[in-house]
This record gives sequence, structure tokens and C-alpha cells, in this order.
Amino acid sequence: MEVFEPFRAGLPPLGRYWRSLWARRSFISEYARSELREKHYDSVFGQVWLVLNPLLLSGVYFILIVIIGGHSDKLRYGHLTGCLFLFYFVSNTMSGGLGSITRGGKLILNTAFPRIMLPISATVIAIFRFLPTIVVFLVIRSILGFPIGWAMLWAFPIALITTILALGLAILISVINVYFRDISSFLPYFTRTWLYLSPILYEVSALKDKLRTIENFNPLFSLLNSWSRAMVHAQPPLASDMFASLGWALGFFIIGTYFFLSRERDFAVRL
Amino acid sequence: MPSASSSNHLPGEIAISVQKLGLTYTTTIDRRPTLKARVRTLGRGTKHTRVVQALDDVTMDVSYGSVLGVVGANGAGKSTLMRVISGILPPSRGRVEVYGKVSTLLALGVGFSPSLSGRENVELGGLAAGMSRKEIAALFDEIADFAELGEAIDAPMRTYSSGMYARLGFSVAATVRPDILIVDEALSTGDAHFREKSLNRIKELRSDVRALILVSHSMTTVRDLCNEVVWLDKGKLMMRGEPNPVVDAYQTFLKVGKSAAIDEGI
Repeated sequence: MEVFEPFRAGLPPLGRYWRSLWARRSFISEYARSELREKHYDSVFGQVWLVLNPLLLSGVYFILIVIIGGHSDKLRYGHLTGCLFLFYFVSNTMSGGLGSITRGGKLILNTAFPRIMLPISATVIAIFRFLPTIVVFLVIRSILGFPIGWAMLWAFPIALITTILALGLAILISVINVYFRDISSFLPYFTRTWLYLSPILYEVSALKDKLRTIENFNPLFSLLNSWSRAMVHAQPPLASDMFASLGWALGFFIIGTYFFLSRERDFAVRL
Repeated sequence: MPSASSSNHLPGEIAISVQKLGLTYTTTIDRRPTLKARVRTLGRGTKHTRVVQALDDVTMDVSYGSVLGVVGANGAGKSTLMRVISGILPPSRGRVEVYGKVSTLLALGVGFSPSLSGRENVELGGLAAGMSRKEIAALFDEIADFAELGEAIDAPMRTYSSGMYARLGFSVAATVRPDILIVDEALSTGDAHFREKSLNRIKELRSDVRALILVSHSMTTVRDLCNEVVWLDKGKLMMRGEPNPVVDAYQTFLKVGKSAAIDEGI
């Protein structure tokens, strides 16, 4: 027997929610697979296309830096490319999560399921788009002859923290988009600004101390620094950076999820 | 038509019990709420949302082996009631008990992603509704057969006509053989041939001792198929009972409303 009663404290019963989400995990993988297949990311040329965009961008930025800064080296190019790929993962997750609820119209109107599945699926899709770019980066860094070391394994926990952050942001933005459908027109400006404010076109070591303090308010700052240390320089990240990144990621994830769950009941009447 | 698994409920057993159900929600007035509209009307006191009392103190039971018809004007709360029973909308007040597996028509989210094929949509909808891959695979051929879509089942759903959408939706809902089937005004779409086929399927499900709820604007269908009818108006339960008296009362009510409107010169 199933009983439907008013929610207590505006949240659905969490135990039941989690069980029902877990029971539907195959939806998430199936949805991601269908979407990727539909966009032909399962073919070689589809994958090349995926990688080409950030790769060309990193080329453009590199030329810019050489012209404006006058001097540059291959480490700088490596840092730029590696960080740009990670940044694109976060920004792709956000743009995928953005419409995940509003696009789910019919499914949301007519089926009872934990709605959080939709932004989670968007994140899984972004992960699959991110993976080939890592392979490309590894090829680039071996051509450029960057140092190799065990410290590179730090990339795994850093990528995990990035995923939690990206998921939290995707969940949050998917709810906001239900209430304000024009967020999609602001998102590109926001992402572009965030890109320039993050240590991608420059390295953290090049920043003045004062700027560095302000940058602590950028959730991606310590994350990108750790990523660059591990992936480009093969050095272990700073403990303080790792804790700050984890704090940001968990913060966004918890706030986003709470906001989502407390608003979820509205979705079927707001679409 | 094979009647694979008959329901394991006894006729007369309670399927759904709705107790003092109330539902209030806030919805937007604009069709597409935007930040721009919010900012531009800042300080003008423009209202962007309104509170809707969709259901008010509704109490009713549905038992196995019966077909319950739900009638009412547009906006009476019929679809909302169905969404509460299927667990899509949580109630604001009261309680709903469901003894069995519910399937709403179009429930399996068919047409969720227009760029994906009918097949993928059926699979995704089934998974979202909590079915396993195995269960879906076992039913898929029957669904495709019943919908008579032929090769179109593998074409993107944006290429479907509205009739094809409706056929696929009905096939999914009726093939999963739920304990409780909710059919929300779907019989009006589709051609005569498919309509007859779906009516037959509904009769067949009724004889399997399942519970059916039929939301319809077609009074002939309601009189023909249902054992019991409830009439909702503005979220309130106006009347329930045998199909003929309830439908008659509803139709008289509609006529009175209409003549009053004519008298007022609207």
C-alpha cells in the first residue's frame, strides 16, 4: 500500500525518496546513453567534434597570451589547456542541468519519480563528454614532455570534487530555471566572466597576494590550482586548496539539493 | 487478446481511498515566467503568481473490478485528482491510500524527449516509472503491436502526429497491466478503429478485476463503460453514484450554466 500525505517541513520523506532514486538508477544511464547516441557522440567524428571546440579555444587563448604577454612557454599552454578542459566540464554540466527540468515536461506531468534524476542525468552526460578531453590532454602533455609522477593520481579526487560541485550547480540552476526561464540568456555571460576570473589564462603564482585573497571567493580557484599542480606539474596539491574545494563543492551540493527537494512539488504545476 | 496475468485482487476490495483530500498550489500567471518580466515590473505591485485551490475536501473510494468515471467542466480538478492518486502531486491536506500499482495514461512519459525515437521514449518512460529493463523488454513487442506504429516506432517522436502520440501512450499504459489504470481523456484522440480497440481493452481490463478510473468529456463513453461516476466542480465533489443520474445531473447543470450565460448576454 502506498500512502500520500502532506509533506512535513516542506521536504519529501527522504528515506523513501532515496530508495526510489536508487531503484531508478538505470534510467540515468539509459538516458545519458540515448542522449549521447542522438548527438552522435558514440562515433569517432562525434568525439573529435567534442574535443575540437575546447582545443581550438585553448589555441586561440594561447595566441592571445603570446601576443599580449609577449612571452610564453609550453607549461603555460599545458596549464591553459588542462584547466580549460576542467572548466568546460563544469560549464557544460551547468548548461545541461539548466533545462533538465523544463525540458522534462511530459514526464514530470505524468509520472511519479524523483525529479532530481534529471539534473543528475545531465551531469552524467557532461562526465561522458569530459572523459575524451582528458585523454587528449594526456596526449598533449606527453608530446610536450611534461614531468610524470605519482602526484598526478591526485587528479582523481580533484575530478571527484569537481563532479560534486558541478552536480550541485546543475541541481541549483535547474530549479532556478523553472521560476525564471530566461536564465539561459544570462548563463553565457556568467560563464565567460567566471572563466576570466578563474586561474585559467594565468597561473595562481602570477597573482598578487591581495588578489589571491579575493579569489578565495571563487569556488573554482583552489580547485583549478590543485588540478594544474597535479595534471601539469605532477606535484601534489596544497592541503588548504583541497579542503577549500571540498568545502565549496559540498556547500553547493547540499544547498542545491535542499533547495531542489523543497521546491520539487511545485514542478508539476509550474511547467 | 491474451489476458496474461489477471489481477490478484478480489472484486469489491478497496483499490484507492481518498480521504478529505485538499490541494492548494501557487502557479505563475505568465506562461513563461522570466527574470526580465520580474525586474521590469519591480515596484509596480504586479502579481506574478496566483494561488489555486484545485481540490477541496474530496472523499471517495474506488474498488477493484469497477470503472469509475470522473466528469466535470474544464478546471474542475479532474486531472489534478488523478495526479495526486498517482503520486505526482503531494496533497496539501488529507490522505490518499493506494492499494496496488498505478499506471496513468501517458504516464510512462511517452513523448518526453521529441528527438529520441518512440522505442527509446517507451524505455526511458518505463525506467522512470520504476520498471526494470527486463520488464520493459518483455512488454515492448506487445506495446508496439497494439500501437500499430510499424516502423515509425524507431523514428524520432517529433515526427509523430498527435494520434500516433496518443496511440503509443495508450498502448504503454494498457499493456503494463497495472492494478489500477487511470485513463485521462485519451479516448477522444486517435481514429475510430483505434478508439474501438482501446474501448475493448478497457472492458477486458475491467473483467480482469482491475480498478479503472476514466476521465472523460464524452458522456456516451462514461454511461457505456462506468459502474460509478463522480462529478467534480471547482475542486469540490458535487455528486457520486450510478452513471445515469450523475451524468444527467451534470448535463442539467451545464445547460443551466449555459442558459444563464446567454441571459446575461455574454
